[in-house]
Amino acid sequence: MKIKGLLLILLLSAGQYTKAQNLDLSGFARSYGGVLFNSGDFGIVQQTLNLNFEQRGNKVAFKANPMVYLYDADSLHFNMRELYLDLYFDNFDIRIGKQQVVWGKADGVFITDIVSPLNLTEFLLPDFDEIRTGVIATKVNYYFGNSTLEAILIPVFTPTEKPQSGSIWYIQPDFPVTPTWDFSRETITPSLESSEVFLKYTALTSAIDFEFMGAYTWDDNPTLHMQKEFGVDPGTQQPILTGLNITPEHHRLTIGGGSFSTEIKGVILRGEAAYYNGKYFLTEDPLQPDGNIQKDYLHYLVGLDFNLGPVKVSSQFIQQTILDYDNYILNEKTENTMTFLARYDMFRETLHLELFSYIGLTNEDALIRPKITYDFDDSFSILLGSNIFVGDEKGRFGQYGDNSMAYIKLKYSF
Amino acid sequence: MKNLQITTAILAIIIVMGFSPGMTGQSLSGKQIIEKVYNRPAGDDQTSDLTMTLINKSGSQRVREIKQFTMDLGDVEKSIMFFLAPADVKNTSFMSWTYDSDQSDDQWIYLPALKKTKRISSDSKSDYFMGSDFTYDDLGDRKLEDDTHKLLREETIDGKECYVVESLSKDEDYMYSKTLVWVNKSNFIGVKKEFYDEDEDLLKVLAIKKVEEVSGIWVITNSEMKNVQKNHRTTMVLNNVQINTGMSASKFTERMMMRGM
Repeated sequence: MKIKGLLLILLLSAGQYTKAQNLDLSGFARSYGGVLFNSGDFGIVQQTLNLNFEQRGNKVAFKANPMVYLYDADSLHFNMRELYLDLYFDNFDIRIGKQQVVWGKADGVFITDIVSPLNLTEFLLPDFDEIRTGVIATKVNYYFGNSTLEAILIPVFTPTEKPQSGSIWYIQPDFPVTPTWDFSRETITPSLESSEVFLKYTALTSAIDFEFMGAYTWDDNPTLHMQKEFGVDPGTQQPILTGLNITPEHHRLTIGGGSFSTEIKGVILRGEAAYYNGKYFLTEDPLQPDGNIQKDYLHYLVGLDFNLGPVKVSSQFIQQTILDYDNYILNEKTENTMTFLARYDMFRETLHLELFSYIGLTNEDALIRPKITYDFDDSFSILLGSNIFVGDEKGRFGQYGDNSMAYIKLKYSF
Repeated sequence: MKNLQITTAILAIIIVMGFSPGMTGQSLSGKQIIEKVYNRPAGDDQTSDLTMTLINKSGSQRVREIKQFTMDLGDVEKSIMFFLAPADVKNTSFMSWTYDSDQSDDQWIYLPALKKTKRISSDSKSDYFMGSDFTYDDLGDRKLEDDTHKLLREETIDGKECYVVESLSKDEDYMYSKTLVWVNKSNFIGVKKEFYDEDEDLLKVLAIKKVEEVSGIWVITNSEMKNVQKNHRTTMVLNNVQINTGMSASKFTERMMMRGM
């Protein structure tokens, strides 16, 4: 706690330092609490301090973005979300350090947006800028006309962050016997050979915006390699599963894709697709001794943004398809999802009504997120919202049926 | 993050800008008067700091600060805005390309929290800009042929002899049933404009409070739009106006939207 206290003092005294150094300081303080419908328990109680220190010059810029999350009186989580240096040249820029990178045209769906891994410790509920994890990387952007060529080298692999056991978002894996875990192969030692490489070409034109991307990366989610141990049932004399050794391991992925966005008679049409080469999937195929099989995989989306009178509407259809599918694979061959967003601003943009929803078409489940935000002034807002999980308990959203909640967020921006 | 959808070149308020001083134009039609207003010289590029103050009927204020750049590239006018305040929209930027032809505007917004440049629809003309009393259409580059213009009368306002021109939209779905603009006879600069709602009741009044000459071009640097039905208003003040600075076209790219000023 002494270290955490010192950290807070350093952060809070940073304001004085920024004045001395002529740094630009902005950010927010937020109080966030949610109550579960089923139990009445607090699903979340969180205090957040987000600080952005920036200094911009013609040739060099600097940014540090520390965030502090306080979950209860003695649970402080510090996250240096970004910490980087920008170097500006005539036709290219270089960014070095911990940074968040966002690619693609999709909203709330991660298809070509794979550079920054996700923090899913609270599922998909945090604001999208807080779901992404910063990566330590060197990024070079070369500009010509209205086009940009972007190259990223990530020497230190960062996996998806998942909820720990004890969290209401943790889902206990369903194994036939209690497994033994071997984490010895899960960590990837940073080296040039183990680095990730991403390339993107972007064009922003009067007719259409589009991107093409390629990546030689790691799967952010580890493959669970399984070694089964069998014995003989003394009663039936049949072989039975007596042990299960699981070894999580990240594997290389080669990914290619692209996205576009264009306007047709006042309607924004968006699309995005990615082809994953050799992704691992869990299988019950007896010929696959470690319980996994490699398949190519397609993930794509089409979306529309339009106005219905004063209401802004956006909808997306997403499909994930495993190619060369066989029936032993535990995942569905095809999984379809939709998103829907409607937003209405009232009273000179001081009251905002919003409804966002993920709709699982394959599993017939959904996450429905209505919210209402009132801006007391330009600095202070209050948000009342709800996260409602409905549908099949085997679905991605329906499995959290007990976690439906109402919540409130008070936010002060500066 | 507030939903920001903005139309082109807020500094324009083109309907009230000047043309050439000294023209008497007594035999001019309504269309000719408005044409002279629209076709004012504006320079090849402009830079300015905009402060927009939203004042509600109780007098409380909210302030928006914007740095803006505009450049005329012949058949297309490009503009880019960087939002400085309030805090929750800081570092947001907006870029618009407006075409002389009938082609729809291209508009993008960069949201720093999401680190994403999004193409947005230009089909939002009747929406209000950042909660102000100005709609995107009020701020945009309205075309002469969009309306039928009729010279109603001549009047004197604050000692200035003015033409009073009525404009009726050719689009039946247009948000205003009509507008009336008072144009200074001596320099073809607008002095005042009234906006009437669908029931033909007076909705808003735009008053031009200050006009300044910068590099030989007249620029409105202080104006106020008042909603007379709801009794709230918005003032718009331009500072540090610079014209014909030799700006580079590379200013109007995604790179600059993301990087900032």
